[in-house]
Amino acid sequence: MQKLIYIFWYIRKMRYVKIANEQIHDFLNQLKQYGKLYAPVKVSDKFYDRKEIDDVCDIAFDYVRTLLPAKKYFIHPKEKMFDIDIENGTYDEPEEKIEPFVLFGVHACEIVGLRILDGVYLRDYVDTYYKRRREAGIIIGLSCLPDDHCFCNLRRSDFVDIGFDLFLHELPDGYLVRVGSPTGHKIVDECAELFSNVTQEDIAAFREFEEKRQQMFSHHGSFDNMRYLLELTARDELWDEESEKCLGCGNCTNTCPTCRCYDVQDIPDIDGKTAERIRFWDSCQFRSHGLVAGGHNFRETKKDRFFNRYVCKNSYFYGLGTSYCVGCGNCTYFCPAGIDYLGNLLRVRSASEPEEVVHEHN
Amino acid sequence: MNTTENIYSLYKCRVLRVYDLIEDVKLLLFRFENPDIAESWTCKPGQFVQLSMPALGEVPISICSSPMRRGFFELCIKKTGRVTDKIHELKPGDFVGVRGPYGNGFPVDEFEGSDLLLIAAGIGMAPLRSVFMYAVDNRWKFGNITVINSAKFGNTLLFRKELEAMRDVAEAENIRIIQTVTRDPDWPGRVGRAQEHIKHANTDPEKTYVCVCGPPQVYEDVFNTLIKNNYDPRKIYVTLERRMKCGVGKCGHCIAGTSTFLKYICIDGPVFGYYDIISTPGLI
Ligand SMILES: Cc1cc2nc3c(=O)[nH]c(=O)nc-3n(C[C@H](O)[C@H](O)[C@H](O)COP(=O)(O)OP(=O)(O)OC[C@H]3O[C@@H](n4cnc5c(N)ncnc54)[C@H](O)[C@@H]3O)c2cc1C
Ligand code: SF4
Ligand code: SF4
Ligand code: FES
Repeated sequence: MQKLIYIFWYIRKMRYVKIANEQIHDFLNQLKQYGKLYAPVKVSDKFYDRKEIDDVCDIAFDYVRTLLPAKKYFIHPKEKMFDIDIENGTYDEPEEKIEPFVLFGVHACEIVGLRILDGVYLRDYVDTYYKRRREAGIIIGLSCLPDDHCFCNLRRSDFVDIGFDLFLHELPDGYLVRVGSPTGHKIVDECAELFSNVTQEDIAAFREFEEKRQQMFSHHGSFDNMRYLLELTARDELWDEESEKCLGCGNCTNTCPTCRCYDVQDIPDIDGKTAERIRFWDSCQFRSHGLVAGGHNFRETKKDRFFNRYVCKNSYFYGLGTSYCVGCGNCTYFCPAGIDYLGNLLRVRSASEPEEVVHEHN
Repeated sequence: MNTTENIYSLYKCRVLRVYDLIEDVKLLLFRFENPDIAESWTCKPGQFVQLSMPALGEVPISICSSPMRRGFFELCIKKTGRVTDKIHELKPGDFVGVRGPYGNGFPVDEFEGSDLLLIAAGIGMAPLRSVFMYAVDNRWKFGNITVINSAKFGNTLLFRKELEAMRDVAEAENIRIIQTVTRDPDWPGRVGRAQEHIKHANTDPEKTYVCVCGPPQVYEDVFNTLIKNNYDPRKIYVTLERRMKCGVGKCGHCIAGTSTFLKYICIDGPVFGYYDIISTPGLI
């Protein structure tokens, strides 16, 4: 059985402070002293992306989702594992100095997502590359309001109690800040002049925000029985119809906060003396993912690959008692074929047609 | 190499012997260069290693020797692509990088005190040879033993000569070796598929553990025959294959199963029980 809580986080008595809107830019500037600051910025009409922040006024507080999830800071889309000396057959780990960095504005679902990645990358065999970056990263959470694709509430990942250093909850005139780690305490202590005590009005506003947020989710209840329903409906026509539309592009897995498959390749240098062993994000939606020598493919058809993502994401992550899917909705939002992941799960849950959802980005 | 705690670092191993088994399949003997590793490295039958060829990549290969021989191990490798082609060019004295051992292996401790029936088809004898060697090296721990080794032709029977050469030991030790071919009219020995010879085994179905390895299409018939012959389905084990990149439960390539039984073949397997197999679509 896996350890319940991974090395970085353990539940402690929460500490609560408040920061007023007037202080927030000061605070963000001060955060830079702890490392490079990354936060969501608006990059086009519809899209937000996390970028290194120079001017803190660029930070978008009201984003719902970014182009790539926070996992990109911990498992790089492409990274070198070893420098290979072909003649001597030696494999040397590249000297990489990992600077501390701050991720500002991470939503609850993504924090759960990172803890799921911890479960994969730090369990049994510890992945050095991931671990070093995870230790270097400070996580500042931010509350959010859902759009039509969000269903973290059905996934029990809409509220987090560990996995962050600080978590900011929106108030009418500032933020209620939960302190979640010793690093979080240190930051609050070192920026003490920016924080004040939480008042009764703040608590009332916090409650109100949480209630409003719960009401904004399009669907209620739980998806806990989804893994059984998926198995029971595996032969339904739904999967033929939906997989038929799929382009096999891998957007859904790239944008998923918990999809983590990678491929490895040795790239020889032109001199033929050295090579690099690199790893890069892979996708179970690609035909090559399940292909083995001799031409046999363990996921031969597009339907096999399509359904595989549904069962994989909806399977049980023992470490947290949740599923691997945190309900962020990215896979629906970024699917070029307009495949509605949540809609399909709802059809599995209730065996009826999905309610019309407006895809304002299509 | 191995200066850090990096789980993907490789142990340097020296090739000591390269032996042609059948067409396209070679048996290689390796030794760890680092004496500390040679001293401390242990494995279980059914586990595998990741073997690296510089600038080409890594492949998972089952350990096919007995874990009892410290510091040395053998791999039986079929030439099927980029990396394995290059492995076939290795000569004694060459070096390779190896990491592992990985996987759960066969539950050999649980097998103790029981009879053993090993059923191999095609290249399936490679992982089963480690179980067999282990059982021979620990003969007193097991009851009767039968090995059924099957292939299409006499000259594609893996480890044919080695098993033939063991005839005397086998007789003295209550071990039955059955080698059978399916499509070779010139073969003087037994013919037919592996499952047709289960009835000739010297094992008592009531108290036998069965290990099966072969191409995916053989399993169903083997299972059916075993169960018809009163072998206990709870004591049937198979070892599976998948595309693998990491071997340590990270890269996701070997994930198989369904939403209630999602398994990493590399760490939860490659050895699975009969009930896991039949209740999980897509496992084999
Ligand atoms: C647990 C396990 C044990 C194995 N034991 C043996 C053994 O004892 N002897 C043996 O000859 N073969 C064994 N194999 C199969 C062997 O790993 C493949 O034949 C080998 O990876 C083919 O690599 P290639 O580069 O030559 O082929 P290519 O077709 O060029 O493959 C390219 C890459 O894809 C991956 N790949 C392709 N096929 C497989 C596969 N079947 N399994 C895993 N990864 C694959 C590898 O990373 C490989 O380098 C085993 C596989 C597994 C999973
Ligand atoms: S993003 Fe959509 S089209 Fe692309 S692989 Fe995923 S489901 Fe298929
Ligand atoms: S499967 Fe889709 S909704 Fe679930 S976590 Fe991944 S991207 Fe988000
Ligand atoms: S081989 Fe990478 S997860 Fe199993």
